[in-house]
Amino acid sequence: MLGIRLFLIGIVSASLIGAGAYVFKLRADNAILKANAVKMESAIEEQKVLLENQQKDFQEILTANNEMNVLVNNLKKDLEDLDKRFNKKNRDFGKLAIEKTKAIERIMNKGGDNAARCIEIASGSPLTEEEINATKKSEINPECPSIANPNYVPY
Amino acid sequence: MYHTEDKTYRLAWIVALPLILVLLLSGCSAGVKTLSIFKEEVPRQELNLPKPTPLEMEEIYWHIITSENAEEVFAKLEKDGIDPVLFGLTDKDFEMLSKNFAKIRNQLMQTNELLDKYKEYYESDEKKEDNE
Repeated sequence: MLGIRLFLIGIVSASLIGAGAYVFKLRADNAILKANAVKMESAIEEQKVLLENQQKDFQEILTANNEMNVLVNNLKKDLEDLDKRFNKKNRDFGKLAIEKTKAIERIMNKGGDNAARCIEIASGSPLTEEEINATKKSEINPECPSIANPNYVPY
Repeated sequence: MYHTEDKTYRLAWIVALPLILVLLLSGCSAGVKTLSIFKEEVPRQELNLPKPTPLEMEEIYWHIITSENAEEVFAKLEKDGIDPVLFGLTDKDFEMLSKNFAKIRNQLMQTNELLDKYKEYYESDEKKEDNE
């Protein structure tokens, strides 16, 4: 009789101790899970920031590409304009030079100076106030208005 | 005597059994592992090479010589103390030279702009802040 009672006491106390230990373990696990959840949340926030930055980068790349395309097209147009200037309305530059030698010499030298200034600008030389403010055809550098006169709109 | 020994055994069991049960209960389930997040970000040192000094072009003068004014041009050169020799181009060659210069200028402009864009993209203040 005493044996059975002692056995039952043993079972009950074992269950109680076991349950207590299990509760402690669950609490510890819960604390870890909470900490994990906090970490996950911060990781998600970081991912969001990363995605936002990636989008900003894509936008920057797109803008840079567009700006480069605009520049390339403008430079191409300058080159085409130069070609037109030599051959406008079947103009013969050589004949003109024979007929109006002094005038053409003056135009050539002015054009040469303008072309040299274009190379200076292309190599990084800052624009002068006059170049920046030029809006009329008579004020611009006709060799490279796209880079020398940012405020000039062809008309 | 026998009775006391029997009691001791029982007491031993009473103590041992709960301990075994506790160990079994707490040891069965696998523990939750702590999550570890690693961050490894070492920003690369910026190159920061200075931009080349902008060009300052020398001034040149173009002379136009025709069969009619050749003598006059050479006489003027001699009068100004310049060797009476000229390096010539035909009108077509002059046109080609102008175009070549324009192409070089365009290439220079594009390369410079490209460098600026790269610098702006990789070394802008915003990017620096992000790295920090």
